[in-house]
Amino acid sequence: MATLDIRNLDKHYGAFHALRDINVGIESGEFLVLVGPSGCGKSTLLRAIAGLESVSGGQILIGGRDISRIEPFDRGVAMVFQNYALYPHMTVRQNMGFALKVARQPKAVIDAAVQRAAEILRIEAQLDKKPKALSGGQKQRVAIGRAITRSPEVFLFDEPLSNLDAALRSQMRIELGRLHAQLGATMVYVTHDQTEAMTMASRIVVLRDGEVEQIGSPLELYNRPARRFVAGFLGSPRMNFIQARVRSSTGRIVSLDAPHLDTGAGNAPSLDITLAPDAAVPAPGAPVVVGIRPEAFADGAGVGWQLNGTVAVVESLGRDTLLYIDTGPLRAFDSESLEGYFAVHRTRQMDARHGDAVSVRIDPRHVYLFDDERAIAWPERADD
Amino acid sequence: MGGPRFRLATLIAYGIVSLWSLLVIIPTLWMVLGAFKTRREFFLDPLGLPSTFGPEAFERALGAGIGTFLLNSAIVTVLSVILIVVVSGMAAYVLARTDSRWMRFVYLLIVAGFAVPVQAVLIPLFQLVSGAGMLNSLFGIVLPYAAYGIPFTIILFYAFFLDFPKELEEAALLDGCRPVKTFFHVVLPLTGPAIASAAIFQAVFIWNEFILALLMLTRPDLKTLTVGILQLGGEFTADWAAIMAGLSIAILPLLLIFVLAQKYFVRSLAGLGK
Repeated sequence: MATLDIRNLDKHYGAFHALRDINVGIESGEFLVLVGPSGCGKSTLLRAIAGLESVSGGQILIGGRDISRIEPFDRGVAMVFQNYALYPHMTVRQNMGFALKVARQPKAVIDAAVQRAAEILRIEAQLDKKPKALSGGQKQRVAIGRAITRSPEVFLFDEPLSNLDAALRSQMRIELGRLHAQLGATMVYVTHDQTEAMTMASRIVVLRDGEVEQIGSPLELYNRPARRFVAGFLGSPRMNFIQARVRSSTGRIVSLDAPHLDTGAGNAPSLDITLAPDAAVPAPGAPVVVGIRPEAFADGAGVGWQLNGTVAVVESLGRDTLLYIDTGPLRAFDSESLEGYFAVHRTRQMDARHGDAVSVRIDPRHVYLFDDERAIAWPERADD
Repeated sequence: MGGPRFRLATLIAYGIVSLWSLLVIIPTLWMVLGAFKTRREFFLDPLGLPSTFGPEAFERALGAGIGTFLLNSAIVTVLSVILIVVVSGMAAYVLARTDSRWMRFVYLLIVAGFAVPVQAVLIPLFQLVSGAGMLNSLFGIVLPYAAYGIPFTIILFYAFFLDFPKELEEAALLDGCRPVKTFFHVVLPLTGPAIASAAIFQAVFIWNEFILALLMLTRPDLKTLTVGILQLGGEFTADWAAIMAGLSIAILPLLLIFVLAQKYFVRSLAGLGK
């Protein structure tokens, strides 16, 4: 397996700048996930690596070899498409062996490669069927098998699980994880589903508007998002954000206040946050954004901001419960709900109903703080 | 589903379609029945049924050379259709896949060419074919038929290829196929319905074509069916029963093809207009 280096990659469609100065290095055998909202450029980047899109500038190197302007079939990559792209007029065996047949490999070599891939993917019984006789999951396995027989240096996956139902998607996620472990292959995987990204990736690249927002392991991005966009994108339900203002600062501790908040102790609302060591201290009066994950709200009275409200929506997931709280004039922004409810996650079943009074607390130890999109404070963690 | 209003609308629709079908079927039926009539019956009882159903008119039609005309029509139609389908298929594929503004302009020119009626260019076309020494040659008439059939067939294939999933071609590209190989190994095998529709469209037109065949095939042994049947009519009299028999024979092959392949015809019509 090979390394993949993307250096200063640019892609324009006329005046539209689809990819801006992309720099990503992928280690041999790594499972890298490209994630981001629709239109962020993740599929464009994948297709540029495959050679299905030309590049306007920059380089793509596989194993140190510049493939930026080489034909797709000479790049040493294989791609698994979102809607499988199996040849309908060929059997599974013919689909999987097609690339080797085009390369004029001997029949014995083709048969052996197809058989090996079919055994890895457990689709031996489907080899003589046509794609229309297969289920969605089986088609996806055949598409992966077609990639395996090519023995590529890098596997590319373009949202391969998007067309599958939820149960099958979970199954295939595990299957892909097993495959990656078995083959030890370098894989680049595109998805808009942050659950897939979090569960499958060695590292994640979060993209927005053609730019890299952050690169890191799933837990790095979840616990230490560098930007508010990344903090909000990863995690379901989304992180809750509150507009706040710096009241004062003492050393690296800033005191924040926000309208319509109650400390519960009758005092003017204030939240004291310790900034990250390398973060600039915002000036008094500067607007900031406070972020709190749905699972991080505390119960009962204590230090921090008290949120009092009523239950607007209850989602009982069996093992967990999600509450969406209406806190009156205080609203979350850029939140999971359009109405600005606060999302609260509890790891237990709850007997909550619409309209029930509820009170939760924002503990300063569990708060993220953002100054103009950049993160300047993160929650304390025991493993820090 | 549906109430009285729906039933009424359905009845009206069926009524109109049935009436239209009758307008098409009755003349054809009259023609076939006419092949079994005597001349007397033809003129004295034009709408009546024949008294006997004997094969005499058919025998006279075959004796006048209908068999030869049939063979000529078949050769010209098959060759023309093959040429049209091959050239149009490849041209439409390139046009449907291109981003070039110039190629789009070429497509517009092709569409505009479809609007030119053959009658408008009959004389220069005759001079061209004559100057090339291709009068009274079956291949000589295949070329103008192909020239006239290609624009429409390109439009047909163009609509089909626009809808053809690009992912299949991209997969083929990654599998090592250059564009020509992709076309022949992946695209063409899946183009059956469009090819069938194009073939039927063009076969019907060429089989029934009269003017060009009349001008360019004057030797009796080279005449196609539409022109050859004229021989059954003299300057002052005409063997109408034999003419009807000849025409009945003429429509049989196309009718058979259409009945067998009509679903491709309809499917392809639905994709037009893109």
